[in-house]
Amino acid sequence: MELLKCEGVRKVYGSGGNQTAALDGIDLSVDRGEFVAILGASGSGKSTLLHILGSVDKPTDGKVVIDGTDLSKLNQTQAAIFRRRKVGLVYQFYNLIPTLTARKNILMPLALDKKKPNREYFDKITASLGIADKLDLLPNQLSGGQQQRVAIARALIYRPALLLADEPTGNLDQKNSKEVVDMLKLSNRNLEQTILLITHDEKVTMAAGRIVTVEDGRIISDERRR
Amino acid sequence: MWKDYSLNYIKNNHSVGLSVTIAAFISALLLSLLCGLFYNAWKYEVERIELEEGGWHSRIIGELAAEDIETIKDFANVEDVKRNEKEQKGTEPATDIYFNDKKAVFTDTPLIAQRLGIGPERIIYNYELLAMYLIRGPGDTAPRLLFPLFILITAAAAFSLIIIIHNAFAVSMNARIHQFGIFSSIGATPKQIRACLFQEAAVLCARPLLAGTLLGIAGSAGLLYLVDAYIGSDVPGRHPLVFGYHPLVLALTLLVTVITIWISAWLPARRLSRLTPLEAIKNAGEFQLKRQKSSRLLSLLFGMEGELAGNALKAQKKALRTASLSLIVSFLAFALMQCFFSLSQISTRETYFERYQDVWDIMVTVKDTDIDGFEEADRIRGLDDVESAIVYQKASAKRIIAEEEMTEDMKSFGGFSGAPANYVSQAEGGWLVNAPIVIMDDLSFAAYCEQIGIAPRLDGAVILNQIRDVTNPDFRHPVFMPYIKAPGVGENAVSVLRQSGSGEQSGNKRQSGGAGASAGYTSAPSGDHKETTAAVPVLAYTQEVPALREEYATLDYYELVHFIPASLWKEIKGRIGGTEADSCICVRAREDAAPEELNALQDEIAQLVEEKYTIEQENRIQKYETNNRQIQGMMTVFGAFCVLLAIIGIGNVFSNTLGFVRQRKREFARYMSVGLTPEELKKMFCIEAAVIAGRPILISLPIVVAAVGVMLKASYMEVGVFAAEAPYIPILLFMLAILASVALAYYLAWRGVRKISLAEVLRDDTMM
Repeated sequence: MELLKCEGVRKVYGSGGNQTAALDGIDLSVDRGEFVAILGASGSGKSTLLHILGSVDKPTDGKVVIDGTDLSKLNQTQAAIFRRRKVGLVYQFYNLIPTLTARKNILMPLALDKKKPNREYFDKITASLGIADKLDLLPNQLSGGQQQRVAIARALIYRPALLLADEPTGNLDQKNSKEVVDMLKLSNRNLEQTILLITHDEKVTMAAGRIVTVEDGRIISDERRR
Repeated sequence: MWKDYSLNYIKNNHSVGLSVTIAAFISALLLSLLCGLFYNAWKYEVERIELEEGGWHSRIIGELAAEDIETIKDFANVEDVKRNEKEQKGTEPATDIYFNDKKAVFTDTPLIAQRLGIGPERIIYNYELLAMYLIRGPGDTAPRLLFPLFILITAAAAFSLIIIIHNAFAVSMNARIHQFGIFSSIGATPKQIRACLFQEAAVLCARPLLAGTLLGIAGSAGLLYLVDAYIGSDVPGRHPLVFGYHPLVLALTLLVTVITIWISAWLPARRLSRLTPLEAIKNAGEFQLKRQKSSRLLSLLFGMEGELAGNALKAQKKALRTASLSLIVSFLAFALMQCFFSLSQISTRETYFERYQDVWDIMVTVKDTDIDGFEEADRIRGLDDVESAIVYQKASAKRIIAEEEMTEDMKSFGGFSGAPANYVSQAEGGWLVNAPIVIMDDLSFAAYCEQIGIAPRLDGAVILNQIRDVTNPDFRHPVFMPYIKAPGVGENAVSVLRQSGSGEQSGNKRQSGGAGASAGYTSAPSGDHKETTAAVPVLAYTQEVPALREEYATLDYYELVHFIPASLWKEIKGRIGGTEADSCICVRAREDAAPEELNALQDEIAQLVEEKYTIEQENRIQKYETNNRQIQGMMTVFGAFCVLLAIIGIGNVFSNTLGFVRQRKREFARYMSVGLTPEELKKMFCIEAAVIAGRPILISLPIVVAAVGVMLKASYMEVGVFAAEAPYIPILLFMLAILASVALAYYLAWRGVRKISLAEVLRDDTMM
């Protein structure tokens, strides 16, 4: 069942003769429960694609529909609420709120909607991510790996339709990188979480069921693995 | 390269530059204002000393021959020599010496004296004047506080300002740690980085420094004008305050301001230049919490936005410290000042103007004149607009009150057991108490007799027979009771007045001279000196006083006031006590006399009596207006300082918020990436602004209420009376001004923040 659909997505920066196309006619479809890795070198346009999918940025041309929502029609407020409820974003540099504890960081998307967390689900994800005993610490009291796990927990707490991960292992050592990728894989299998992971590291893509390669703003290959 | 880089940075980062500019402007304004005020305080003091003491530097006491004066003039450093005519009246002659170089006064004057064969004991120095030029001699032991005070206040102001501008620089510099890390990594030395930051500071601060300094000079001129016009104009004997300025003061002001700004820039620059490239590149310059802190109240009231705002404020605590402190102090000082002056105004009006409203309109003090020497009373009474004019003079005496004379009421609060020894002393036959005498002109005394319901007579005294309940300290609502048992008033009732003693003849009191006493008045030896007494017939004991602008038994509750006619005083003067040097005339005008008519009447009285007598006049309405004007003037001056203090706080808020886009861009981007909507971000901003502006008010108000409670208790004023006239509007306006300023600072910051593009921030590799 299709969750995400991109049709002819273009993103152009600059104006006049200075125009640069970061994305140049991307067509992509992702089904529910898929774990897709978008592989590309630096400057290939993969992060721009993720920003557009996360409703952080808008395409110059084309259409993006996630879970039935056309992202191009969202205003700023609607885009923020969409990000809060429909997508979970995981960044290379974690982007945790430095003034909130790990627990409050994780619960923040729910708190913004004045919703109470499902205790069982909260315990389940924090236990499976191995951060149950770190919940009352501030981000600067956690290691990089622990911060990234908190960021993943935050991305998952709202049970989003789509989890977008932008180089989530880019700032981690090998051991932590492997653990983070394993956790994403686990959430994909156990929670049937749709994941779209962006990376330039081919090793990281091994966990994904599908690898989409981007070069100069275009998809040059789309390979499904068994 | 640095020049290009810095100029380019300044051009492209107006908000960061603006915060430093505001801080530098406020610093220059305040320091210039202070220096201008202190220079004028110094100038005024020098003028005062020169007017009162003279502008001489040293003085030789004793007669000097003309050739001696020529000898002094021949000294190279002597500017002028003058015989002091003024000092010669009644005292020894003196010669004043003025020096070109004032510092040489303590070495050259002894040399001059030596040349003239005069001993050093005949030299005196104008220490007070010399100290104003920082010239202190070994014999000048008096504390000279003007300069230490100036140095202390300026140092305190400069120190406080360093904290503010340092914050503004720190905010702007911290935003660029990453950039300087890159410079450092490619080989820029700490010195080069510091130089770059100092260049920027110089460019950013030059214009505000000059503008602030000029405005500070104008401000000090304005403030002094206000002080002169509102506070000092009616102080008798003072000379006018004329604003002045000196290039040296400008140089000093600029020097102090530049040093202040330099230290402020140096503090964060030193820290920043010492960071290793790695530390600098990693540092995002964000506000962080060192340990977990919760904002329960804000969280409870406003949900997640409240919690985020609370935590953000806690993380900015250091940057906002100056703002919090100065806003609290300014609001507290303003509110307390307003309440204090309101209370004072009500109190003065109730206890003075309203109480004496029907008693006097014009008070004339006839200098150095006894009541029997004043001959113009009838002419004053004859003036068209005069309803009544009572001429009176005060004198002091004592009398003994025997145990059996005391009323039961008086005994009920302990009699004289609690009376201070300087007012009441035990004597043979009872207690010796003060018996002030108010000598009234015969006509007025006769009218007073009629007022209290007795037949007018001019051979006796009316005694104010009341004593305040000394156990009740409420001066606003005193309880009076009969002092002495009033025996049957008649031929035999006498009050034996005694001389109050030569030791008590001080101040403007003097011993009366004059005629001897008539029969019935005796002289009795007492102790070492001959004590004289005068037994005056008592016409009445009363609790009603004549319509005079006088208060009785205010300090000495135990005094027994006697009102006597001038005719009787003629008989007994010289026997008892001493009169005050001056006589007074209490004039009441027609009931409906307008202020202009009172002024005209004042002029008419002056024309009548000024030929023969030296007089001073007070006009009730003028005095009331002057009193109000003085209070308004003081409130304006103190209010201006409170506003200045608030400006420092507001400046700090602006310097902080204008750096938000740079400083908190990542923080806001994080919120947005998690799904915080622009409206929620705006709500968070509003909460932050409300807390910053509201906290000083919430902290100060209970303190103000408590302080006003203490003031009301101490002044025995009813809460309702004060509440009806409490300064709600000025306090509310000050409160609103703080709220509006903080709201404006946050609104301007919000305009920048709402333009932040989440995608752009996320594309920035430094987002951590």
